[in-house]
Amino acid sequence: MQDEQTSTVQAEQAIVEKICEKFGFLTGKVFVQRKKRILTQPLDKEEFEQLLHYAHDELGFYRASHVVGTDDGEDLGFIYLLVNEEGVILALKERAPKSNPQINSMTGVFPSLELHERELVDLFGADVRGLPEGPSFPLPDGWPKGNYPMRKDWKPEYFDRKTMTYNPPREDADKEAKSDE
Amino acid sequence: MNEKRIIGNRIVIPIGPQHPSLKEPGCFTITLEGEKVVHAVIGVGYNHRGLEKACESRSFIQTLYLIERVCGICSHTHSTAFCQGIEELSGITVPRRAAYIRVIIAELERLHSHLLWLGVAAHEIGFDTLFMYSWRDREKVLDILAEACGNRVNYGINTVGGVRRDLDDNVIQGISKMADSLENQLKYYLDLVMIDTTLSARLSGIGKLSREDAMKFGAVGPVARAAGISYDIRTIEPYGAYGEIPVKVITDDHADVFGRTVVRIREMLESLEILRFCIKNIPDGGIAVKAPRRIPAGEVISRTEAPRGENIHYIRSNGTDILDRVRVRAPTEANWHGMKHMLEGQYLADVPITIAAIDPCYSCADRAIVINSGNKTEVMDWQRLRQYSIEWYKKRGVDMASVKMPESKAYF
Amino acid sequence: MVSALVKIFIFPGFVFMAAYSMFLEYLDRKIYARLQNRIGPPWYQPLADFLKLLGKETIIPADANRMMFQVLPIASLAAVATSFIYIPVFGRNAVAYFEGDVVVVLYLLTVPTMSLFLAGWYSRGIYSTIGSVRTLTQMFAYEVPLFMALLAPGLIAKTWSVSGMAEFYSRHPLYILINVPAFAVALIAGQGKLERAPFDSPEAETEIVSGALVEYSGKLLALFRMSVDCELVLIASLISAIFLPFMTGNVILDFALYLIKTCAILVFFTIMRSVMARLRVDQMLAFYWRLLTPVAVVQMVINLLVRGNLRL
Repeated sequence: MQDEQTSTVQAEQAIVEKICEKFGFLTGKVFVQRKKRILTQPLDKEEFEQLLHYAHDELGFYRASHVVGTDDGEDLGFIYLLVNEEGVILALKERAPKSNPQINSMTGVFPSLELHERELVDLFGADVRGLPEGPSFPLPDGWPKGNYPMRKDWKPEYFDRKTMTYNPPREDADKEAKSDE
Repeated sequence: MNEKRIIGNRIVIPIGPQHPSLKEPGCFTITLEGEKVVHAVIGVGYNHRGLEKACESRSFIQTLYLIERVCGICSHTHSTAFCQGIEELSGITVPRRAAYIRVIIAELERLHSHLLWLGVAAHEIGFDTLFMYSWRDREKVLDILAEACGNRVNYGINTVGGVRRDLDDNVIQGISKMADSLENQLKYYLDLVMIDTTLSARLSGIGKLSREDAMKFGAVGPVARAAGISYDIRTIEPYGAYGEIPVKVITDDHADVFGRTVVRIREMLESLEILRFCIKNIPDGGIAVKAPRRIPAGEVISRTEAPRGENIHYIRSNGTDILDRVRVRAPTEANWHGMKHMLEGQYLADVPITIAAIDPCYSCADRAIVINSGNKTEVMDWQRLRQYSIEWYKKRGVDMASVKMPESKAYF
Repeated sequence: MVSALVKIFIFPGFVFMAAYSMFLEYLDRKIYARLQNRIGPPWYQPLADFLKLLGKETIIPADANRMMFQVLPIASLAAVATSFIYIPVFGRNAVAYFEGDVVVVLYLLTVPTMSLFLAGWYSRGIYSTIGSVRTLTQMFAYEVPLFMALLAPGLIAKTWSVSGMAEFYSRHPLYILINVPAFAVALIAGQGKLERAPFDSPEAETEIVSGALVEYSGKLLALFRMSVDCELVLIASLISAIFLPFMTGNVILDFALYLIKTCAILVFFTIMRSVMARLRVDQMLAFYWRLLTPVAVVQMVINLLVRGNLRL
């Protein structure tokens, strides 16, 4: 069973070995999750960008299917999913603190990331540097600034759709309500 | 308005958000010089309703039904991808019969989606007769789907651990009967596309996206396959029962709308073969296994081949029954990027068919739901929607009010 | 005097034309629907549409030229109604006729198209502007072959009167065989004149919404639609008078024959519209100028040669 498992993921293992050979500091941070899936641990900005360029230029990951934004508490996570011609997914993870959520746009390498990076800006409040000009996506015009709906602390029930304002209850109001009970 | 719209010999025309050629809202701002498109700006996002946020406050079983409503046409592929992800996380193996039923529904869905597309494409180029014909034939597929799942679209047949309904002999016979009659029609359409001069005049050389560009812009599905890229998840990563079923990937090297039409029609013929194989080889046995209430923590990337291309779901669980993050990458989202490239340099008359040729599904790409009740359209919040459904069932003698809902705050 | 007015306004003039146009529209829609596996509308649908439009509010865009916007539909309908007087419908001759009336008919025929162009232009909308430019482009394409095809039979008949041509060919039916290419050209160019598929790019619904008439509504739209329908009657009658002038001499029988001939032409138009995709403007231009115009020119040359050797 174990042998079968390793033989089916040979191609994926080879890719991981190549990456580790090129970037020694990534050893242990890149691993094969299962057939056709290679994942990384959250990486620094420099590590991430080096690996992304390398994957595109040398490893044949020609397509970036999308970016998944995640809210990891103190940080924002960004998972870039690259695909090569055999359909192997390489999920590169990047992390930036919410206090300074700055990342560089990868649209120079993968033009198909434009909409997905815009989505990071609108929904997660990421500060994506170098994104080409264009209409925002996907939130409507007139969406209040500083509201990033996909962050966990943004609660939809406090958003008034008529006035387009976000009104979280004050903490003392919460306490009063509790003492009434 | 004219001052802004007409600059020198250039006219800026908006195609959308409301336009007869678009079945859903999207805004394509086209700058014309005479009849030639010199610049195109693509504005999408009108259908965004925060489906992914909604998933983060519901149990994964509720999320399944929400995910199924990402798209009206390819709902099965989304729920399959989601179920597969959850099953992978919790280590469940789906019974073989259930896997086959999923494939059958998926192929029926592909048939009806492609027939729908053929009709829409014919309408875009002003060939309404083909539009009516292909939609008439689509009804045959929808009838089978209604008989198999109880619904024409949004089948609700998938559940975590298997499927909710078994296919009886009636349905299986119906499929093989439908396959025979549809095959004749499809061959006729293929001949028509190949022979008819007005059709080839309107389809050939339009919306060119070469192999290199398709790779650069990350096109998927029939758009990529029409450019000669043999990329089909059913063979690259055979999910479900596809591992046991021979699937021939259809490619074409025209790299234009004509190629996409041919690829779609041939794919339908291939789908019929898959259906025939499935109903011949469908194993007996159970159709579902019990799924645990909580899913182990972890992350999974699940993908399926939707009628429109590769559909990817990223699912992250934190060990409770509520998912931490669900990200749906519908195929249309991948195909938008090549659109600007395809539109520029063409005639205005070819814009609608070029847009239609990627088979855009705005709801998919924006992940949205719109609720229509009777003739008034309104947005219901979760509680009201639930109230509405309870009343609806009460009228029909079922009391759903006794079913307890977990605490989840409503929005939108 | 009274009988002339009756002829002009009631039968076989305006009222008959309007009623027959509605019948032809119904026939067109019904056959089109049946060819597409649909049921199609009931017989009174065109009338119901017309009456409903009359009852609707007429909206005039703020940017539009009010005067032109309102006058154009009337001008269009008036031109069609006037030219119908010169076409033999009931009896051997038309209500009015004179040497050269076919030229008048052809020029009056351009008025509805020009009205459509101006209507689109003066509505000042984006889609209507593009639609009206396309209308004009199409006019330049179909006019030359259509005019040549309709005038060529006159060369043999040595008359440029519709009634005269009809009379000549009914006396010498075999000469009609020479005009078969012109007949084909007239049918195809007529389809372009009427802006029906495959030449319906001026009003392509999926590209420019509905072209020149996109800003029109209510009564004005009803008038425009009526004039388009009447144009259909006019073109069908003109083609049947010039190319299919078989007559028996019995007035009632001839009128029945007229109805059959125009319906047959309409059926041809409808089948053509249902089996083809819409051509792009450049493809339409290429088709007219590269194919139809040379055929019409050849027809002219043949007819001139025949005319030279003709001893009648």
